[in-house]
Amino acid sequence: MKDIVRTILQAKLNAPLDRRRFIQGGAGLATLTILGASENSARAEGGKLGGPLNFFGYDGEQGPKVTKEFLEKNGIQMNAAFAGAADETLTRFRTGGRGSMDIMTMNKDFQRSVIDANVELFQPLDLSRIPNAAGLFSGFKDANWLVRDGKTYGVPMIWGDEPCIWNPKKWDGVPDRYTDFADPKYKGELVLLDDPFGNIWLFAKSVGVKDPSRLTKQDLDKAVEAMLTIKPNVVTIGASLGDMADVLVRGDASMGLGGWAYQTIIAKEKGVDLVVGSPKIDDRFFWSDAYTIAIDAPNLDNAYGFIDFITSPEANAALATELGSGCTVEKAYDLLDPSIQSLYDYSTVRQPGAGILGTQTVVPKQEAEGDIVGAQAWVEAWQAFKVA
Amino acid sequence: MTAGTAHIGMREYGHDAREAARAAVMLSPAVLFYVIFFGVPMLSLLVLSFWHVEGFDIVADFTGANYQKIASSGLYRDILLRTIGLGLLTAAITVPIAFTLSYLMRFVFPHKAQFILQLVLVSLFSGYLVRIYAWRTILGKQGLLNSALQWLGAIDRPLEYLIYSNFAVIVTLTGLLLPLAVLPIYSSMANISRDHIEIAADLGSRRLHLVRTVLIPMALPGIRTGFAFTFLLAAGDFVTPSLVGGSQSIMIGNVIADQFRGTGANWPLGAALAFVVMAAVMLIVIVITHLIRRVTRW
Repeated sequence: MKDIVRTILQAKLNAPLDRRRFIQGGAGLATLTILGASENSARAEGGKLGGPLNFFGYDGEQGPKVTKEFLEKNGIQMNAAFAGAADETLTRFRTGGRGSMDIMTMNKDFQRSVIDANVELFQPLDLSRIPNAAGLFSGFKDANWLVRDGKTYGVPMIWGDEPCIWNPKKWDGVPDRYTDFADPKYKGELVLLDDPFGNIWLFAKSVGVKDPSRLTKQDLDKAVEAMLTIKPNVVTIGASLGDMADVLVRGDASMGLGGWAYQTIIAKEKGVDLVVGSPKIDDRFFWSDAYTIAIDAPNLDNAYGFIDFITSPEANAALATELGSGCTVEKAYDLLDPSIQSLYDYSTVRQPGAGILGTQTVVPKQEAEGDIVGAQAWVEAWQAFKVA
Repeated sequence: MTAGTAHIGMREYGHDAREAARAAVMLSPAVLFYVIFFGVPMLSLLVLSFWHVEGFDIVADFTGANYQKIASSGLYRDILLRTIGLGLLTAAITVPIAFTLSYLMRFVFPHKAQFILQLVLVSLFSGYLVRIYAWRTILGKQGLLNSALQWLGAIDRPLEYLIYSNFAVIVTLTGLLLPLAVLPIYSSMANISRDHIEIAADLGSRRLHLVRTVLIPMALPGIRTGFAFTFLLAAGDFVTPSLVGGSQSIMIGNVIADQFRGTGANWPLGAALAFVVMAAVMLIVIVITHLIRRVTRW
């Protein structure tokens, strides 16, 4: 079984990668769903599968290739709609979505905010209906953004980090701090990602703010000032992680900040070597996304069945590969191709509380709190940086 | 009025009324379509622009705070001016190229006009994003243009301003929008008789004078439409500046898009920005077309 899965994943990774395929996910992965489904489908104990399943979350995380066979076999019609950010889920929920939403995907920072604020959005999960969740890495079983008062509110499906990515023909490594990228030797070599929160967070950390997710106006100004010192060296700001990879592959820039380890694989398939790493002092930030079930979900059985299926080692390995991310199920790790395994340091998720994933917060609060500015101020600061 | 003429008048009135009713019935699907799919969404957006955001909620009230914020913000003013400048420049480059091309098709190579028109239009068959990426391939550091210039020995190192710059945005937008300017201008020019040109020439009109006093005024409806298309679409674009614009080519479309997605989004502010931009570009279109009409009046 393991060899079959590995062979399919290997075939996927060695196939030519065009942009459409990159965006839509790897061909061939659907086969995995048969393998996974044969062993694990319809394990939503106590429930009958079939009928609609409404998904609202990040594009790709509904695993269209991975779950195709499972959905067909169980007569489930997936109605997927996509969010640009996790908080759009709350907007949708509160503007007529309640009672019609089943599965939602959340990033860990937003999920933590919702749990902390006791906001009504997702319901505690009955883990007896998701037996495959027992196979999660230990770090995800008790993570503070998923579990509160003994109740679990989400099942993580992928995780990762955003390191620097560069062309080794041009650079030996990265400096110790993000502010060091202001050095004129980087002129015409840097590409950033169009992500206000990631960039401001990194530079706030670089200028010494203790908790870069909670900035005062002065902290924010200081971070943007630091970012402006590297602006003359920035070639462009990638519209997406895929676009950023394209800029690096074309040779229009040679150093990306806030990148994606999977970009090395994209580049390799196009004949370009890229490597990842992070500034020794400032390091990088981490993320993780999870499946949750909405309060008043109308298709609860299908939702549990879906989450259980996609948390099987085979499906989780396929999804992690398709999305170029870390897997969350321990046995899925063994099914990954070594090139995918090596993208992330799994010691983080093997420890209780998921190490830095559990302690680090990147996305700011939506609303200002006293001196601490809200997310809108970060967005405006980012726009001011771009126009400067 | 005699009884006979009154009778005829009544018949004509009855005929006109029937024609008007018939026209109203025939137009009603289109009008209904516009009301439902344009009027209602625009009205909703207008209403939204007077609401505000609190936390994750949009609060339905009536406040001019969003418009006040836009008016007092140097950031939005700068980006709006930059956008209008890039849009005008794009239109100012695209329309003369489209005019020249249309002139060539109509008067110089009339037998090849359909073929040339097909060539111009064929680019519309490919996807918008594909065409932008094609320009990235042409203008990139290691792109076709830089490679060709280096191969010819014209340059030692790649010209970096060709890509990720305002230059790249304008070139790409011009390439993308040219067919949309050619169509209305050529269509207007197709109605200009060759006799008009010859009469003007016989009366001593020199070439540039002839263009200014005969061709442009007669093709003005097409020029106006071509200008409006290119300016409006260029000023409203946000994908092109994202992909070829570099670190400084943010346009107001990008700012509006940011207000509708992600954490920190502010839909009411985005709606207000959209209406401000709409008002600004409509005003500019009106002023420019008025100016063109005045300049070309003979």
